[in-house]
Amino acid sequence: MSAIMQGAADRSAMPRHASAPMLGLVAAVLLAAMLAGLSMGSSPMPLERLLPALIGQGSATDMLILWTLRAPRVLLAGVAGASLGLAGLVLQRATRNALAAPSVLGVTDGAALGAVAFLFLFTDPANMLTVSIYWQPVATALGAAFFAMLVALLAGRGNVGPVSLILYGFALGALARAGVTLFIVAGPVYRASQAAIWLAGSVHEARWSDVAATGLVLSICLPAVVLMARRMDQLLLDDNSAMATGVAVRRSQFMLMGLSVVLTAGAVSFVGAIGFVGLVAPHAARLLLGLRALPLIAGSAMLGALAVIAADIVVRYGFAPLEVPTGAATALLGAPYFLFILFRARQNHA
Amino acid sequence: MKALTAVLIAILVLLAAASLHLGVRFTPPAEVWRALTAGGGDQTALIVNTLRLPRAMIAMIVGAALAIAGVLMQTVTRNPLAEPGLLGVNAGAAFAAVLVVTLTGEEALAPLMAAACAGALLTAAVVYGVALTGGGRAAPLHLLLAGIVVAALLASLTQILLVSNERTMEELLFWLSGSFADRNPLFVLPAAGLVLAIGVGCLAAAPQLDILSADETTASALGLSVVRMRFAAIVGAALLSGFSVALAGPVPFVGLAAPHLVRRLGVRGHARLLPLAAIAGAALAMAADIVSRFIIYPSQAPVGAVMAMLGVPVLLMLLHRRAAGVGL
Repeated sequence: MSAIMQGAADRSAMPRHASAPMLGLVAAVLLAAMLAGLSMGSSPMPLERLLPALIGQGSATDMLILWTLRAPRVLLAGVAGASLGLAGLVLQRATRNALAAPSVLGVTDGAALGAVAFLFLFTDPANMLTVSIYWQPVATALGAAFFAMLVALLAGRGNVGPVSLILYGFALGALARAGVTLFIVAGPVYRASQAAIWLAGSVHEARWSDVAATGLVLSICLPAVVLMARRMDQLLLDDNSAMATGVAVRRSQFMLMGLSVVLTAGAVSFVGAIGFVGLVAPHAARLLLGLRALPLIAGSAMLGALAVIAADIVVRYGFAPLEVPTGAATALLGAPYFLFILFRARQNHA
Repeated sequence: MKALTAVLIAILVLLAAASLHLGVRFTPPAEVWRALTAGGGDQTALIVNTLRLPRAMIAMIVGAALAIAGVLMQTVTRNPLAEPGLLGVNAGAAFAAVLVVTLTGEEALAPLMAAACAGALLTAAVVYGVALTGGGRAAPLHLLLAGIVVAALLASLTQILLVSNERTMEELLFWLSGSFADRNPLFVLPAAGLVLAIGVGCLAAAPQLDILSADETTASALGLSVVRMRFAAIVGAALLSGFSVALAGPVPFVGLAAPHLVRRLGVRGHARLLPLAAIAGAALAMAADIVSRFIIYPSQAPVGAVMAMLGVPVLLMLLHRRAAGVGL
């Protein structure tokens, strides 16, 4: 409790970044994107039909399209995007590495491995699950946690540079992907192509139960991340200085990694391995909002949501009637951005 | 060194023999021999001659090609972690091949190979170019990271192409994870000839490659046109990667593991490194192919997945040694 109050005192002492207007702007853009996501589709719904349908007074068809197809899809994209954006921010602070993200460090691949392993192990010969599907997120989280732990173990020994850390993450991710491939080929996991689309990340066929489950994970983790905001600021310092400000460095890093794993698993369980959102959202947030953790938390979550909703609109609209995975669109956006950060960081070093 | 060569060749021959005998059903040596020498139309002869033999040959060709490509890339970039898979060159070749299949429905070897080679060349140019724009010479790990991300980008582009064509999707998905099985036996001879030609060319240039792996000033002082040599080596590596992708899909880590293995055995100098790495690569690919038949028996695993499981520990070890300051 005292830590929180101290944090409040510190914050009032720090020069106030003009983050409130910027956050308001981001929120407005996010809202606009959500409305666009709701109104666009194979049968477009202009605002004058969308708004009545939203408050329950549209035509029966509009209500059906809106409430059973589009609303869960847009909300799932938003909630999963927000989770991934937050997971990325938290991971970047925990590892003090600007290039870190769940998909970059192999955590997302680990989560996917957990998910397919679950389907493989608990499917009987008649293609029926022998346990409730609600256990799948648990398996996903276990997979993510296992690979996060491996990365932490490998990188924890000796002093590993930021780029080496990423390469360790990539190597472990490759291992997890190989495992995923084996499970898909070996297992009775539906049809391989369906699994491939899910693995690439997709929000089509979103259901309300998915939204609720992902939303539950996010609503548990978000307050925890907010409570960690002050420590996230302190972790920007090097180990000794951070300890001098009274933060338990290793324990905070561990807790942040844990939060990142849970957030990633919550998203990956229901939308698959959508990549690069956890990398790009915190970066964009930092460009707009500065370094302080509290506005960054709000910004990363909103920008993550915005990224996935926008990517979903792009794949729905740009490639219709194909069902291009949402993850392909985020990778097209995220990969060049990663290269940009990589080489800007390098020039600053030189 | 002669002993080492003999041992590697012996291992390769043993693996090739095993590859002909092992499968969903074990074939006794006598029957394999009869099928190979007498041919015939019975089931065993068909399995051995039209399925297992081409498969073993393709594994050998692809393994050797990727190993040589790995050596060339490692020499050019002076980075022992460079290889066609990690630098995204395989992904570029695969993207181009899928593009051609999707647009034209063409599945003959020549257009597929041409497309894969073009894709590999372009990607190699892009990755190397991107890495160089970072200012000055490309730092080893940055080059690798650039390659990995370019590979991710190309993989998602490939995915977009894949969903656009349901008909070929399932088949291409398996091919994209790398596989030596069920390839057209007619591909074997031309591919072997091309790989052999480039391999011999590299061997002829072994002294220059040795100089290239020293630092730049030494190389130019010794009268070597560094830029031209480097360009030739990259082109050679990209072509080899293109051939192997057209044959078997992107198979990762052979180009990393085989040269590394041979170097650990104390082999230095390209005149020996190139042929021995090629043999080791062929053996490695064949071993991975045999494992892929049993790891999820009775299903066949994509060899790419098996190779990743063999190759990732090598990559981790190399990274670890680097972090521990052992150098590369």
